Amino acid sequence: MTLGYVLRRILVSVPTVLLVVLMVFVAIHLVPGTVVDMMLGTQNYLTEEQIRQLYTQYGLDKPLIVQYFAWLKNTVSFNFGVSLRTGKPVLQLILNRLPVTLELAALSMVIALTLGIVLGVASAVKRNSFADDIIKVFSLIGISSPAFWIGSIFIVLFSGLFREFNIFGYVPINHDPLKNLQSMFLPSLTLGLMICAQIVRVTRASMLDVLRQEYIKTAMAKGVSRTALIFKHALKNALIPIVTVSGIQLGYLIGGTIVIENLFALPGLGRLLLQAVNERDYPVVQSIVLFVAIMIVALNILIDFVYTLLDPRVELK
Amino acid sequence: MKRSLVAFVLFVSVVLLASGKLTIAVDVEPVGLDPHLVTAFASHRILENIYDGLLRFGENLELLPNLAEGYEIPDPYTIVFRIRQNVKFHDGTPLTVEDVIFSFRRILDPETKSPAAAFYQDVESIEAIDERTVKFKLKKPMASAILPNFAGVNSSIISKKFFESGKNLQLETNGTGPFYLAEYVAGNYIVLKKNPYYFVQGQPILDEIKFVFMPEELSRVAALKNRDVDMAKISEPLNVRQFSTDKYNVFKSATLSYYLIGINTTRKPFDDPRVRNALNYAINRDAIVKTVAFGEGVVTGPMHPSIKAWALPPEEFEEYKYNPTKAKELLAQAGYPSGFEFSIVTSARYNFDKVAQVIQAQLAQIGVKVNIELVEWGIFIKRWRESDFDAFISMNSGSMEPDIQFYRHFKTGGSTNVFKFSNPRVDELLELGRSTVDTEKRKQIYSELQRLLVKESPVIFLYCANQFFVADKSVEGFKLLPNESLIFLRETYKK
Repeated sequence: MTLGYVLRRILVSVPTVLLVVLMVFVAIHLVPGTVVDMMLGTQNYLTEEQIRQLYTQYGLDKPLIVQYFAWLKNTVSFNFGVSLRTGKPVLQLILNRLPVTLELAALSMVIALTLGIVLGVASAVKRNSFADDIIKVFSLIGISSPAFWIGSIFIVLFSGLFREFNIFGYVPINHDPLKNLQSMFLPSLTLGLMICAQIVRVTRASMLDVLRQEYIKTAMAKGVSRTALIFKHALKNALIPIVTVSGIQLGYLIGGTIVIENLFALPGLGRLLLQAVNERDYPVVQSIVLFVAIMIVALNILIDFVYTLLDPRVELK
Repeated sequence: MKRSLVAFVLFVSVVLLASGKLTIAVDVEPVGLDPHLVTAFASHRILENIYDGLLRFGENLELLPNLAEGYEIPDPYTIVFRIRQNVKFHDGTPLTVEDVIFSFRRILDPETKSPAAAFYQDVESIEAIDERTVKFKLKKPMASAILPNFAGVNSSIISKKFFESGKNLQLETNGTGPFYLAEYVAGNYIVLKKNPYYFVQGQPILDEIKFVFMPEELSRVAALKNRDVDMAKISEPLNVRQFSTDKYNVFKSATLSYYLIGINTTRKPFDDPRVRNALNYAINRDAIVKTVAFGEGVVTGPMHPSIKAWALPPEEFEEYKYNPTKAKELLAQAGYPSGFEFSIVTSARYNFDKVAQVIQAQLAQIGVKVNIELVEWGIFIKRWRESDFDAFISMNSGSMEPDIQFYRHFKTGGSTNVFKFSNPRVDELLELGRSTVDTEKRKQIYSELQRLLVKESPVIFLYCANQFFVADKSVEGFKLLPNESLIFLRETYKK
């Protein structure tokens, strides 16, 4: 992969990111009710004059197109503005919350990949056995159950069974790594299991495909050990579809964290986004979407790069 | 002598034994910390422990002295407060009359955009008589009506020096209250610590309170069971039943906030008061309390029944006795013998949608067809503000002062009169009520007003739901007030 390729990909991604942000901008402004409405609620004590002043102060009296370009202009110069609701700088809000979401995503992926590949390989190797059936049922449940449901069940189970276990109350990793892992365990397990279900399926199918290949039969005839055969010869070649699915799932993860962060009271980006949408805090919503869009685009480029490492035949031009 | 000695020993042992830290799970995070600006209840319940007003509410919502150690109303145009001596802000600077005057000038300054400005719009002047006395002169004779506002969070006293040093009060605090803000991790928790200068001897008892934000009720229930928190706000009565009173203390009180059906009185057929009143007869309020709130609530008239000084008991309203025949009669008189069809706008918050469903079923009994329009909260507020509804179901925050409860809702052109209701006698009574100081006379005025409001029915008053805080058995001294205030945290301790 050349530097030129990476630069070209980044350049092509810019319109994609801009389009996503524009769509979100239009969508959130199409939803009736502004931040001022949300502040006033149904207990409005302000006079009409005060309300009008608030609209002016937040720039909501200007045409939409003007608002969009004003925001875009500031963003390009890394000025993400301030949250309308709290008055805090948006960049600071996002940077405070980002580590929680990234940690959640990373831990979920570790759980999903480890468990998913192990179970997927086992399922393929022990094809049509009892163990294979159990794993297939497990992945079916994982795929068809919503995250909040699995999370709720974990909460009920763990709060009843393990009293000493610190489920709630997020502790940053630099304060107390052990407590941080405790508070992250259930949320990442919930998300991890959901993604794991997909990975199990893909791993199984891909492994079965590879195990049927001629070169595996040759290796077997040559007397290669079973472990080496599965992990060295088969799994490595079965990895490409798994990487693809993992990449897609990582994108979905961002959506999943909104629900899970709310359920487990984690102070992450997803919860901030939900709050901002509810309160029509436009600069916060737009900036979070921008961040997420950039992350997903970067992730796609990274996955392409991983392909070349896995299979030298894949060439990026 | 002996008894007071025992009481003293008990008090000292409670203070000594009390473990210093209480963790509370709440549903919503504050949206700002400036006491003069915030309207969200989530902010108020934190700030009322950090800031003080001139007055405060007692256990029965009676007005008590606070930063003012006393007040006088020499005439209906004047209120004189005597400011308490030796009170210090959290930064150690003393509270002065200057701070009091500065706080109210800031509220009244249009630049501040304080919602409390509306409470004090009829204040003509605020001046210091001497070093510890402040006089409020009013443009209208409404001293009694205005008084409860001085106990609200939006009327907190802030430090002039602190503000003028350029601090952003939305982010930093400096009050005179029992606790000071020690740490705020957005999205996660707020820690309040004991104010060593607090002017009430022996208070607060706790060294520290940690408010943890948990939006999902399931998480709060589990955190309480798991002992990750000592106390939690629980909204659903069914969830409260999971906690046995052997192991937990359940604090409960009916809120002042009331569920209502708001009606657009300018739209047909609701422009006829008989049609609106027919709904009063056709709605079985007890059934709503039973099915939606699982019995955890009280039927209410225009004022909360627990405010005995003002409220007419709901039983006194003839219209509240479930009577579909009478309802049909009224509809026939108004020219709708076979009923009509209308829409109720509502959102999925606080069980509004479930109330709507029960009402839909009840009105079907008298031939009235209800279409429920369930919308997102932001959309609801927009339609509410623009009076874009036939009827809506929502909740209004109540008050113990009838002027605050009624004036802005029911005065012709009132700031929250989204019902577009206009009745000359109601207007007259509202003006009379706020300008009368004599309590007996006021009581007569507001009794007539309450009867008239039920008869004219721009709003169908439904019920007030119970609120709950569930705590570990070791938590004591806490009391929950109908205005949902957590002011009694200063008297709370852990055994």
